[in-house]
Amino acid sequence: MLQAISRVTTFSKNGLSRSLPILSLSNGRYASSDPTCKKEAPIIENDAVLALPEERRMQNALESTIVVPVKVDLSPITGVPEEHVKTRRVRIYQPPKNAMQSGTNNIHHWEMEFDNRQRWENPLMGWTSSGDPLSNLKIQFSSPDEAIEHCEKNGWIWYIDVPKTEKDLRPKSYGLNFSWNRRTRVSTK
Amino acid sequence: MLRQPLTRALALSSPTRVAPVVPAARRFAEQVSVQPEKVEVFIDDKPVYVLPGTTVLQAAAQVGVEIPRFCYHERLAVAGNCRMCLVEVEKSPKPVAACAMPVMKGMRVKTNSDLTRKAREGVMEFLLVNHPLDCPICDQGGECDLQDQSMAFGSDRSRFTDIHFSGKRAVEDKDVGPLIKTIMTRCIHCTRCIRFASEVAGVDDFGTTGRGTDMQVGTYVEKMFLSELSGNIIDLCPVGALTSKPYSFAARPWETRRIDSVDVLDPLGSNIVVATRTNEVLRILPRTNEEINEEWLSDKSRFACDGLKRQRLVTPMLKDSRGNLTPVEWEDAIVAAARALRDCPPDKILAVAGDLADAEALIALKDFVNRLGSENTYTEQYFPTGGSGTDLRSSYLLNTKIANVEDADFVLLIGTNVRFEAPLLNARIRKAFIHNETDVALIGPKVDLTYEYTYVGDSASLVKDLAAGTSSNEVLKRLESAKRPVVILGADQLKTEEGAALLAYTQELALRLQDNLQDKEWKVLNVLQRTASQVAALDIGYKQGVGEALAAGPRVVYLLGADGGVVTREALPKDTVVIYQGHHGDAGASIADVVLPGAAYTEKRATYVNAEGRAQQTLPAVTPPGLARDDWKIIRALSEVSGAGLPYDNLDEIRERLSQVSPALVAYGDVQANNYFAQARALAKSLQKPVSGKLDVQLKQLEDYFMTDAISRASPTMAKCVQAVLKQKTSPY
Repeated sequence: MLQAISRVTTFSKNGLSRSLPILSLSNGRYASSDPTCKKEAPIIENDAVLALPEERRMQNALESTIVVPVKVDLSPITGVPEEHVKTRRVRIYQPPKNAMQSGTNNIHHWEMEFDNRQRWENPLMGWTSSGDPLSNLKIQFSSPDEAIEHCEKNGWIWYIDVPKTEKDLRPKSYGLNFSWNRRTRVSTK
Repeated sequence: MLRQPLTRALALSSPTRVAPVVPAARRFAEQVSVQPEKVEVFIDDKPVYVLPGTTVLQAAAQVGVEIPRFCYHERLAVAGNCRMCLVEVEKSPKPVAACAMPVMKGMRVKTNSDLTRKAREGVMEFLLVNHPLDCPICDQGGECDLQDQSMAFGSDRSRFTDIHFSGKRAVEDKDVGPLIKTIMTRCIHCTRCIRFASEVAGVDDFGTTGRGTDMQVGTYVEKMFLSELSGNIIDLCPVGALTSKPYSFAARPWETRRIDSVDVLDPLGSNIVVATRTNEVLRILPRTNEEINEEWLSDKSRFACDGLKRQRLVTPMLKDSRGNLTPVEWEDAIVAAARALRDCPPDKILAVAGDLADAEALIALKDFVNRLGSENTYTEQYFPTGGSGTDLRSSYLLNTKIANVEDADFVLLIGTNVRFEAPLLNARIRKAFIHNETDVALIGPKVDLTYEYTYVGDSASLVKDLAAGTSSNEVLKRLESAKRPVVILGADQLKTEEGAALLAYTQELALRLQDNLQDKEWKVLNVLQRTASQVAALDIGYKQGVGEALAAGPRVVYLLGADGGVVTREALPKDTVVIYQGHHGDAGASIADVVLPGAAYTEKRATYVNAEGRAQQTLPAVTPPGLARDDWKIIRALSEVSGAGLPYDNLDEIRERLSQVSPALVAYGDVQANNYFAQARALAKSLQKPVSGKLDVQLKQLEDYFMTDAISRASPTMAKCVQAVLKQKTSPY
């Protein structure tokens, strides 16, 4: 859990640095400063003054960068009903290992799922029905950061649920079964 | 497989389970000693540095290479008998069993070479020769290691032809109790169940008989596998030889929807996966959490889920003129309850919280009762009021933490049968006993804890002597010399008259030991609660033990799932109105005038705080049956009608309120280190009165364990377990 939180905080730090306003180069130099504070006339570059209007436009286009908003909220334009944006709660987790199997192949990723809503047995066929369009939406991610980013983009409230599953490595030994002075000695075989 | 060390011959006469008493400092000395230098090995040409003595399989796991296995299990001893993990090692003439082979410096392991694959294919062929082809009717189908691995590593055709038409090898099924179904023909002799029974469960009943094709896994004599952890061998079995009896032929794994949740039937809050289909809980499986349940689950938590379908309260009910509870609409029930509460003088209202109440419902009920002008909110379980009472969290929690108990070098149990009060904590103690040479002493009635312990006695004065340091008992010396001692006091003791003194002495003893420790982070004092709701209730500020409030003659009693039988009709005045809110028709509902149906733990998103003080939340797997509703919502609605509306309307707001009371209640998954031990100890000084009684525990035998709360009392499987244990007692074995 702690690990995940620290991961999340590192993510938010990255996000923060990305969200800092990128300094734009155009016209800030004259507009913002107080003229009374100036000691001398501003230096004007000759090239900039003498350039033709189209050259100047070209120059501006090459120098300026496109600012992409870091936090995008897609929820107003996705067409998802407001109920499924505002009232849903997303759980971000690593799928648990099936206790019945020893393989661990399909659990090395992160998943998000929505809160579980009512289901009922359909009287026609006996299958399970649900009124929840998001009930089967499980999306896989390679890291919790991606999952969080996806949730924030869609305006869902998320939380991370991570039980501690890694254990300390303790070397195993076949010989312990026969050790004469340890309690690991086995009685049956 | 049968490489025997020479020393074994010398040790033949020595007892196997009773280990010699080793110096308590041993484990600690190991811990501070420098780690040996790591050796480099190559797994599929990937270099990895591991500790010497690590097995090839473990080394491969470190670089993410999974070697197929049947008998190897990381929480059990190495058996090395299935041979599925054979891998090629450079310069070795034959493939080696990765699970038992320790690494050597510069070893080059090839886990995907032709030789390795051929070896696996050969092993698989031998296994399948003796395995029936009954996957279509096998309950393990779809989550079977043998199926998976034969698909991945097996041959694409069979050489097996039954030329003499003698049929495949068949083995008689065994009867090992009402929980586990055995189809022994499917057994591949991995011996995981045998090792689990002898190492983790501590019930050494399983074993093998015969050799070669006549080998059988069984219990030697006709005997049931009676352990509180028996269900785990169903999970461990890599094939369908051991399957769940209550779940047999119920569903396929791909049909079920799995919801991760938390168990509430014991105080540890084991993590579980609830498998559901068509709004019905089909089975409960453990979910790995190293800090709580590792990957085990106790039988009550696993099999009591069929109690969720029986004895349920599905509609609000009111007592009619003839004294019978009759179904009514929610509106009528709420209005009746609200009228009773409103007409009652505030000091005559009494609210009692039961074993399975969640934190949201607890805070809603407390706020509601407080708004009505009453302070009478109580828990069913008792806790002494003197000293610091429940003001300091350290005096009612497992401060050592469940996982840390493994590192202890001496455990003193006072008046608790951990085996049945918290089976997985007992499994931890047993693990420490076996692997870390931890020693255990017990004060209280003699019970079977599945491991050897020093029996001190059952008199309460022993605790007093230990606390004062005047005891001549050997245990005191062991405790004082221990580097990481643990003292666990059972909550059963607190309800006795001497409970306060016992708690004070235990605090005194634990704190005296803690002050002398080198490891300043280590916590010694533990109080093991009995129920899942108690810690949250005490955190929220419920008063403890309902006795005095009952004697005051309440006019309205609000039972929030209080089925413990503490509140009875006889103890109440004649005209008292009893409002029961809960999910099962048990002791509480039978005395109620108004019944408000609530949701069980599989049906709501709710917070539970386990015995360590770790908040966890359950997730709704199914919808509450009939008209039943989430518990806190019922109280919220009732407060509105009573004219004392609560200021929260959704889950976020009520959790905000919980965090105002204690941030620990919503810090899901985390557990805070407790402090103020010294202050609690100082306050408890005045309670150190002479004690003379004997310690007793409620759960002594296995038959006491299965039915302890409303859900497990309604479960037919649990009832069968009790019968089976009683039947086994009459058997000569």
